[in-house]
Amino acid sequence: MKPLVEKYLEKGFFLSTVLSASITIFILLFMVVFSLPLFKGGHIVHLLRLGWDPYHGSFGILPMVVGTGVIASIALLIATPFGIGCSALISIFPQGNFGKFLRKVVEFMTGAPTVIYGFVAIFLLVPFVREIFEKGTGMCVLSASMMLALLILPTIVLFLSDAFNSVPKGYLDAADALGATPAQKLIYIVIPSAWSGIISGMVLAAGRAVGDTLISLMIAGNALQIPGGLSDSARTLTAHIALIIASDYESPEFKSIFVCGLILFAFTALIVSVLRLLGHFETLRDR
Amino acid sequence: MKLAITVAFLCMATLLSTGSSYVAAGDLDRFSGQKGTIRIAGGTAHIPVMKEAAKRIMSMNPDIKITVAGGGSGVGVKQVGEGLVDIGNTGRKATDDEIRRYGLNMFEFAIDGIAVVVNPKNPVAKLKRQQTADIFSGKVTNWKELGWKDRGINVYTRDASSGTRKVFWKKALNKGKITNTANFVKSNGAMKSAISVDPYGIGYISVGHLDPTVRSVAIDGVPPTLENVRKGNYKIARGLYMNTGGVPAKLTKLFIEYILSKEGQGIVIEKGFIAVK
Amino acid sequence: MNRAAEYGITFFVWISGIALLCTVGALLCFLLYKGAPSLNISLIFGETRPLDALLLRKEVFDGLFPAVVGTLLLVITSIVWAVPVGVAAGIYLAEYANTGHKAYLNLLLDILAGIPSIVVGLFGFSFSIFLHRHLSDRIYPCFLISSVALGCLVLPYIIRTTEQSLSSSPFFIKTTGLVLGITKLQNIVHILIPYNVSGIISGVILAIGRCAEDTAVIMLTGVVAMAGVPSSLLSQYEALPFYIFYISSEFSSQEELMTGYGASIILLTLCVFLFTLSYILRRRVATRFAIYT
Repeated sequence: MKPLVEKYLEKGFFLSTVLSASITIFILLFMVVFSLPLFKGGHIVHLLRLGWDPYHGSFGILPMVVGTGVIASIALLIATPFGIGCSALISIFPQGNFGKFLRKVVEFMTGAPTVIYGFVAIFLLVPFVREIFEKGTGMCVLSASMMLALLILPTIVLFLSDAFNSVPKGYLDAADALGATPAQKLIYIVIPSAWSGIISGMVLAAGRAVGDTLISLMIAGNALQIPGGLSDSARTLTAHIALIIASDYESPEFKSIFVCGLILFAFTALIVSVLRLLGHFETLRDR
Repeated sequence: MKLAITVAFLCMATLLSTGSSYVAAGDLDRFSGQKGTIRIAGGTAHIPVMKEAAKRIMSMNPDIKITVAGGGSGVGVKQVGEGLVDIGNTGRKATDDEIRRYGLNMFEFAIDGIAVVVNPKNPVAKLKRQQTADIFSGKVTNWKELGWKDRGINVYTRDASSGTRKVFWKKALNKGKITNTANFVKSNGAMKSAISVDPYGIGYISVGHLDPTVRSVAIDGVPPTLENVRKGNYKIARGLYMNTGGVPAKLTKLFIEYILSKEGQGIVIEKGFIAVK
Repeated sequence: MNRAAEYGITFFVWISGIALLCTVGALLCFLLYKGAPSLNISLIFGETRPLDALLLRKEVFDGLFPAVVGTLLLVITSIVWAVPVGVAAGIYLAEYANTGHKAYLNLLLDILAGIPSIVVGLFGFSFSIFLHRHLSDRIYPCFLISSVALGCLVLPYIIRTTEQSLSSSPFFIKTTGLVLGITKLQNIVHILIPYNVSGIISGVILAIGRCAEDTAVIMLTGVVAMAGVPSSLLSQYEALPFYIFYISSEFSSQEELMTGYGASIILLTLCVFLFTLSYILRRRVATRFAIYT
């Protein structure tokens, strides 16, 4: 290959990398630039107040922030124990091919479209929840959290199973030699040893839960209130962006969605930094 | 004699029927030889009419492409004002401010009412104006206060961009508050689907969208039928408008003429609205 | 720990696994049960004859054809620009970058990978407004913007898989060529890349799957409920995931709802197929690698 062509190709590689990395910066830039008028006008204080009522001049996104927090936390709360259980089943408890099968199923789940989770939930889960609570529409925090838990479960399971697998073999062999049962191995050896892996998996899943749009858009009800209980309808930041995008380009209402985008961006950056500190980024899965 | 009359009658009938079908084909004829795209967005109540018209025009002339999007009346105004679409549909009159800002031209093509709807399983079929306002503002929260089971009332409402919502808020709720616990749906169709699956829901949709999957509620004794809207008995009514920014382009103008033509108004009636012509 | 706790834990672990399988199974069965009746040619082509629709002679109004075509074209255009950029960046990160720069670049790319898809969509939308105001009046959220935004979304997948395959090639694959005197670039092009083709392709396939199923990005950048087959890069279009979303919130009849189920089955099959393909390719890489360890 001619040296000139080589040089250009190598320059090309470098430029592609710079381009890719700078996309992140551009995203941040656009979010900031578009929300700047809001900061300048001093509206930012209003933004963090309660109440979203464009006709009466308040654009508080607090209900949405709380909605995101509540739904994501409950989803994480549901998914983590089950995630630990499934990964334990795959990696530690001896059961022949069942574990492999379970792992394959979980891997396939990562490829399933989110919109289908939402679609099925509307017709299967929502009426069920409505009857359980005997009030509300069924489109509430609980339904959204449950489906979201199902969505982030594969992330947790795959990550944890890798973490469990990387517990030094010596420990497990020693435990076997001493006659430990799988349950004992799990509690006394694997979990303490893979603890930072578990935390990383949870952090990753939290990132995924906060960032998901469709499940909360389709199932959480989208009411403009701070949810008071599991059966209350709520709205997340992501669903809020999707709902408001249809409005005009000038009003504070529109600019506030860029602030939502900024908050989400900041949250992602936070998650990434935490994961780096925990040192587990190299073994990251695709999702 | 009788034979002559019958033959004459038959001849006239044939002439008349071919005559009228000639007129009907003529409504679409204006599109022959035309090319281009028409982009339509805005009110969701208009979508069934727009889609049917688009289907007929595109079938007749494959060189024309029409895209139809929803989003609500607010979106219709903004997008047509910014030049992103050719026709912005609204379910309310454009405000003076909007007309001035974007140079809007309004074309009313149908009259519609807004009905309060509940699930068919719900026996409540009559409400007073004040009761409606109380339900939507959150004062009345349980169906037992209206004579049904002891279950909470699930209020559904539309997003801020909706013309249906604005007119309902103005005319039915007297600009009262809509409760914070209300669930949001994005369009008339979505409201209908939501109410049809929720036995304890209440919401509001365009009269043209009414069908057996939901039951409409009479307000102050007046049921929201097309007759009542036409006569003016049912007060919660509005016109459906197509808006363009300034003078419409050639193809857009033809589309508007088509909707206002006999065949177009036929589509309007077919989809459950009241024709303006 | 006492016996009871042990049994409790074992029980819980097994229940988690079984519960997961039952839930997934229930969802699948429900979908198939409801959607199977609607799986026929008219689901896709409506009342138009298939040949007319395929040759683009006639528009399809009541079928999924425009949505299917929209999704396919979207995937192809997004991949067309994301793959070269992604592979090139992966090569650079694996072979050329020095550790100082690498940490910085990796941080930015990791953030990009983690950004919620709706924020990427929002970026695409604001980008289109920017272009609309400063570049040309004719630009608004459209097919082109969507494919750029989707490309941004999947870029991290491609970069990461390329970089990982290249870095984890066996030592002697990486060095033998260099020892024999060829240049670094020749080594990459003639040895490393062919060796890692399966790994790179599997990343590309994952990216394809992600493009096909994403809804949040396209919702903000140009997909609409009715648009026919996309006629140009600057036109609006339909897509399968958005169709499913749209139908779920507003279906005017049971038949329409059935088409939603049918569309879900089609989309799910497509994604599972792509995922399986990627999986097979990754296994091939793994077994190949195993020979050398």
